[in-house]
Amino acid sequence: MISNGAEIGKLTLLSLVWLTIVFTAVWMATWAVGILLPMLLQNGLGERAMLINEILRFVTPVVSILVFIPINAMFMVLIERRALALFTVRKGPNIVGPDGYLQTAADAVKLLFKEDITPIGADAVMFTLAPIVFFAPSIFGAVPLLAAVTNNHALFQVLNLPTGIFYVLAAASVPVVALVMAGWSSNNKYSLVGGLRSAAQAISYEIPLVLSIITICVLAGTLDLVKITEQQAGGILNWNLLGGGALSGIDKYLAAMISGQPVGSILQASYPFSALSAVATGALICCTIISFWLYLTGACAEINRIPFDLPEAESELVSGYNTEYSGIKFAIFFLAEFTNLFVVSSIATVMFLGGGDNPIPVWILDKLPLVPQLVQALRDSFLVQTLHLINPETLFSTLWVILKVYSLVFFAILIRGTLPRFRIDQLMDFGWKRLIPLSLIVFVIVVFARGLVNCHG
Amino acid sequence: MLATLLAAPAVETWLFYIFASLAICLAVGVLVDRVVIRSGFILIGVFGTIAGLFLLLSAQFLALAQIMIYAVAITLVIVIALMLTNPRSEVEAAPGSSDNLPLPAQIWQNVKQGFPLWVSVFIFATIFAALTGEKRWPVSTEALPDNAVRVLGEQLTTSYAIPFEFASVLLLAALMGAIMMAKNEKPESTEVTSTEEQKAEENLALSR
Repeated sequence: MISNGAEIGKLTLLSLVWLTIVFTAVWMATWAVGILLPMLLQNGLGERAMLINEILRFVTPVVSILVFIPINAMFMVLIERRALALFTVRKGPNIVGPDGYLQTAADAVKLLFKEDITPIGADAVMFTLAPIVFFAPSIFGAVPLLAAVTNNHALFQVLNLPTGIFYVLAAASVPVVALVMAGWSSNNKYSLVGGLRSAAQAISYEIPLVLSIITICVLAGTLDLVKITEQQAGGILNWNLLGGGALSGIDKYLAAMISGQPVGSILQASYPFSALSAVATGALICCTIISFWLYLTGACAEINRIPFDLPEAESELVSGYNTEYSGIKFAIFFLAEFTNLFVVSSIATVMFLGGGDNPIPVWILDKLPLVPQLVQALRDSFLVQTLHLINPETLFSTLWVILKVYSLVFFAILIRGTLPRFRIDQLMDFGWKRLIPLSLIVFVIVVFARGLVNCHG
Repeated sequence: MLATLLAAPAVETWLFYIFASLAICLAVGVLVDRVVIRSGFILIGVFGTIAGLFLLLSAQFLALAQIMIYAVAITLVIVIALMLTNPRSEVEAAPGSSDNLPLPAQIWQNVKQGFPLWVSVFIFATIFAALTGEKRWPVSTEALPDNAVRVLGEQLTTSYAIPFEFASVLLLAALMGAIMMAKNEKPESTEVTSTEEQKAEENLALSR
């Protein structure tokens, strides 16, 4: 029996309460700007509201992200502290508010009212610019993900790009510049070393990260995030994590078998070279699982999470690149770090875990009692029909996305509580001698194995 | 309506002038800034505005590649290389007295000092001639294909396969040259450095 069951229960309750707060706030803000305001304008101004509506359409995704980021960061800091306390058998913050729920809100207020110091000899312009350059890409970069994680909701379709994933990766590579900038402009040796380390680390680990994403893009045959998500629809067997569609032939076969339709040549169509195709399917599954692992490792290094937090190793470098920062600039760094963790987990969810897809295959889901009736009842309700407050298609996929993304975030916290920090030479060795060759091998195997199986790409 | 407004030629032209003037200002800033590392950071801004110009030409992929490769990776390495240089060595080697030299030697020295200038003037003249001459580059009036990235990839692996491969071979040669130069810096160093450190240095050189 688990001895700390009560603590786990408290942590679960805390996550549920905070998640409800976060996503209710975000959805209310998005709904107010994206649906309510145009409706009111339509009634008030009539035809002249066209231009304002058009502007609002572009503003809505940005508003949703800007509301989401601070509340989410507060939640993530709190859950990280509480979870780490759980792993290390401590109490964690439990004084402020009911059971410590408001600890990070209080911290945020404290940080905002602290004095903003620029050290003597620092390059003031660069010193101020660095947090902005660090934070801005996490807003821009998250924008194309919105359509993918909400099942292509009409409000977020505007900002879906044909080069979606490449855009996200390009935006995710910019913050490194800010770290070097912060390290150099602080006029502090520890900061400089931290900045240089972060640059070396980011350049090394970006290669396996991008190669693992490219592997999935080759399987999917597109860079469009919404298309990649749509391909993976229909249960865990279609996800990119398990072969990127190599198993979807089996999925179709099972579906046909259970519903009693003629099985025919479904397997033949998906696996044209019987034994070779089976081998290729196995290879694809292995390769995509390795890719997922490579992605998680590279992402962890890219956002300086703990086994790779050398840029701010507090036992060696005081606090690395943000040693000299205080007040609101430090708050921005802090905010961006947690937002990056969230963005990285969302990319993993969209690319590997099927986005908002239900892990249960459709042919089981249809057999479940009450589910279709519940969906129908929701669809007929007042909220959906007149206010458009909830969109059933989006609701379920969003819930799955939240579950998947926060599971990955929790996994990152678990890693932080488990592994010690790398040494710089171990870090370089691991990156250049293990991860990069491995990712290249995986890429080549996927390119060849893909020709032997009919994937969904 | 906003989309049509944005697509209107006037707005596009205005955006082009904004981006172009920003790019020129930042490029001048790279040259005149006294702090060499700061000019390295300004270079990132130059590449960013050029990416904006690519976006105006609806070359989305190219703009993103410009940001990812030039604005971040390459410039970052340049900045780090600048941090490793000694800023004072430039000052010490500054204008030596060339009065007591014979005239041809003086002229030669002037030319040698102005070498980067001559190279840039030559490149500018070439590009100017290519873009504005009699047989200037043809401007296509075709609409952009839906999946521009796919077309780009197909072109790179079919029609332009040989230049593409040549570029990769050139990069490989530069990479090997960089490693050789990094290794030859201290030929007679007898101090015992751990192999790990050397590997790490090599890796850094590789990443350059």
